Amino acid sequence: MEFVTALYLIYSFLAFYFLFLFVLIYLGHRKEILFVPRPKNKYLVSVVIPCYNEEESIGMTIDAIVKNGCKRLKKIIVVDDCSTDGSYKIMREYAKKYPGLVMAVKTPKNTGNAAGAKNYGSRFVNTDLILFTDADSFPEKGAIEKMVGFFDEENTGAVTASVLVKNKSNFLLRLQTLEYVVIKFTRKLLEFIDSIYVTPGPLAMYRTKHFVEVGRFDEKNLTEDIEITWRMLDKGYDVKMSVPSRVYTIAPGKFRQWFNQRIRWNMGGVQAILKHKDKFFKKGMLGHFVLPLFVSSWIIGIFGLGFFLYRAARWVFVNYLTTTYSVQANAAVLSVRDISLNPDILFFFGIILFVFSMAFTLISLFHEKEKGFKSPRVFDTLVYAFFYLLTYPVILVTSVYKLMRRNVRW
Amino acid sequence: MKRNYFVFVQALLVTVVIFIIGFYIGLSVEGSHLNQVNDYYTRSEVSLVDILALNSLTGSETISCKGMVEATKNLLDKVYKEAALLGQYEESEKLTDSLKTLHTKYDVLRTYLWINSINIKKVCPSSNFSTIVYLYKHDEQDLTKKAEQNVWSKLLLEIKNENKNMFLIPIAQDSNLISLASLTERYNLTNFPAVIINENRIFYEIPEKGEILALINNSSI
Repeated sequence: MEFVTALYLIYSFLAFYFLFLFVLIYLGHRKEILFVPRPKNKYLVSVVIPCYNEEESIGMTIDAIVKNGCKRLKKIIVVDDCSTDGSYKIMREYAKKYPGLVMAVKTPKNTGNAAGAKNYGSRFVNTDLILFTDADSFPEKGAIEKMVGFFDEENTGAVTASVLVKNKSNFLLRLQTLEYVVIKFTRKLLEFIDSIYVTPGPLAMYRTKHFVEVGRFDEKNLTEDIEITWRMLDKGYDVKMSVPSRVYTIAPGKFRQWFNQRIRWNMGGVQAILKHKDKFFKKGMLGHFVLPLFVSSWIIGIFGLGFFLYRAARWVFVNYLTTTYSVQANAAVLSVRDISLNPDILFFFGIILFVFSMAFTLISLFHEKEKGFKSPRVFDTLVYAFFYLLTYPVILVTSVYKLMRRNVRW
Repeated sequence: MKRNYFVFVQALLVTVVIFIIGFYIGLSVEGSHLNQVNDYYTRSEVSLVDILALNSLTGSETISCKGMVEATKNLLDKVYKEAALLGQYEESEKLTDSLKTLHTKYDVLRTYLWINSINIKKVCPSSNFSTIVYLYKHDEQDLTKKAEQNVWSKLLLEIKNENKNMFLIPIAQDSNLISLASLTERYNLTNFPAVIINENRIFYEIPEKGEILALINNSSI
């Protein structure tokens, strides 16, 4: 068997394995996905909103929290991280508008990342539960209340929500809309094997005592929401997800912003892996599944991308020469033989894998139709399935390169 | 909520089952390809033996040169088509390499047919046909050479389609055939791919199509 064939079969095996893993989890728990436990305890909730130069959206975010319909809401702490725009002024206006509920505070100096402002704001919290949201994210009415009931289980350390894209005005945003829906679906499935690996910044609730116990957010990490989740898992706390709790966030609409955001996410992921490297194959799902999954998927992604580029370069080179020689010899550039298809075992595996993957993507998209989420365009779905996902390894390679050059910036 | 970690094992089992089914189908398909080409080869072998019998009648008044040329050409055309199919099947052969041996058998057949065409030219000097022998490397790794071989095979097929009185004999020179080696020795071939036209003109570089056509047409006059 040739090396290429063996490699392709290994990749297919892994892809099939993870696909079936998710499908089987879905089949076993499909009736529990939308489950929301009714809270039995009288918890109180404080909300912390970090803000840096968000004058356009901070007011709307505060309004979305105040009018969320959560009666157990005690305090909303809006933390200005020394913005250079009018954010702080708006916060103070809202503090006057909602006296006793909204509190506007300012960090002594710019912390340079969301974790710094979040940690600063968390020191003003004295409730059982602490909720974080971003200044450009808008929780749907009732979203907060639906997260609280999960804390009735004493071991629950954190609860995450469905993060969705608010703005869908261009092609890149529509692709992210699809991506976010698929991600939130798979994240919920991971809950059933205790492997939710991130509690995303747009809406995440923590039990305050566990949050303090694990040491709050790591201010050196670019993805503090991934890193703290891993510490929760490491301590043995459960991380849950309330699928009906939706939060709409403003996604980057320009390629450059999108690329930089993804670079930051990946660099943060690499930082988290390096920080927790001693936990590989040790207790719990962090060491036995989350860390190996992260690392192996990255190795597979980078190696696969490298090999794909190598093969593609060879193909382009041979075809360039063939075309050049054909023109020189006055022979046909393209013949019927060139486009003849020889289906083989790898082709059949590829087709089956593609069909199953598409089916899984479609289940993710249509399992629970999101509010305001019209049926995705076929073209968008195909671009998402064929091309968008291929950018992941490219972004990862760039992130590792930047990290190696110590170009770590929020 | 009750956790079901057995799902990891279940996913593994389902994947293994899918792979076993996939391998079974793959091996069956490759096996059927082998049987099909083997069947073609057996029939071609029968035709070859028939030609051998025909050749043994050389000198007899009952055999015409036209008949020998016709029979050889027909067999060569048949072998060309079968080898093209074999090539396609070889490209899709991923789990076994049984077709490689069959490829060598076809190379032996074509080498013999080349020898036969040389003999026909001696026995029947007035016969009006040209021979193009294309010697290539079956397992070529050099990308430049690979591109050259792609163009050679397309170009020669085009020429073959445009000329009825032409024998096109592609042979893989890396098949390790003693007969082929001794045959090519006399041409002092230094490089591959190489194209020998009517046993007297050798091309290492790809010429313009017209140059080869002119050579063939001149020899046909």
